[in-house]
Amino acid sequence: MHEVALAEAVWRQVDAAMAGQKGRVSAIQIVVGAFSGADPESLEFALRLAAEDSAWPKADIRIRREPLAVRCKACGREFEPEHLSFRCPACGETDAEICRGKSLLLESLEVTEDGEEDPA
Amino acid sequence: MAKKIRLSARVLSENDRAAADLARQFDKARVFVPNLMSSPGAGKTTLLEETARRLGKELRLAAIEGDLATDRDAERLRRAGIPTHQINTGGGCHLSAVQVAEALTRFNLEDLDILFIENVGNLVCPAEFDLGEHARVVLASTPEGDDKPIKYPIMFHAADCVVLNKIDMEQAAGFSREAFRGFVRELKPDVPILELSCRTGDGMDRWIDWLRQRREAVSRGEDRRCV
Repeated sequence: MHEVALAEAVWRQVDAAMAGQKGRVSAIQIVVGAFSGADPESLEFALRLAAEDSAWPKADIRIRREPLAVRCKACGREFEPEHLSFRCPACGETDAEICRGKSLLLESLEVTEDGEEDPA
Repeated sequence: MAKKIRLSARVLSENDRAAADLARQFDKARVFVPNLMSSPGAGKTTLLEETARRLGKELRLAAIEGDLATDRDAERLRRAGIPTHQINTGGGCHLSAVQVAEALTRFNLEDLDILFIENVGNLVCPAEFDLGEHARVVLASTPEGDDKPIKYPIMFHAADCVVLNKIDMEQAAGFSREAFRGFVRELKPDVPILELSCRTGDGMDRWIDWLRQRREAVSRGEDRRCV
């Protein structure tokens, strides 16, 4: 459950981004790659829990999943591995580099001016 | 109107910054730092005890030991002659770069050749936390089953060296080394796989050679984390 540590880091980053800014955070968008090591559902749960102790307890938490994609170093074919095996479906080699799926990002914030209704 | 602020910030950026600072210190002192990761009970502490027995007179060794609770493993390493600082994570499932930075104040890096980081026993969480190390050593053992690499692909994909321990128990555990190697190769074709038994000493020489070679490269300034 390192998702708790990740969630706390996210809220610290939200606070840092909001320092000196007007308005309140109405939503945060997170990207979780399939090969990031974080479980999206656990992370969402941890983010909601940690939100209660943050300055933005009502912020909506949106998680976008990023699938794993790799590129075969031998033939250049890009593919989404099945069962996390990196064997290339075209040439059978297993030496592949990851091109997508490792992301673990705080992608964006949605900030609402005071007195406004939430957009949702 | 709600305003959107784009950040695209890595969630682990705090840890990454602390890790980059550690890497600079390790490079500057030319001390080789391997980060040992495995499930609980695979034999990380025993591997370090046996390493101390074989290398302790030749190289200056030290260790940072991560555990949820107790300093039992640190005590074992100290008895084996390795100065060790224990970090209790108090439930935390991994070591962070900030924790390692705090532990570093206990050591004079200039006086060391190898500083081992023994991570918390866990094959999932520690994979994500860079500790500024030169090499990630992933340890598995035969009683855990030969399919560990495909069950924990992120950890094995991140490995710079895979150590398979307890090969003396291979038959009793119904373990296939062939299958294990195949699963590792599916993820990372070129990673060294060192098969050994800490109990019998079989295969320990290859591990010691690997440590010596990497340490020599670091001490010559050829194996650097920061370029």
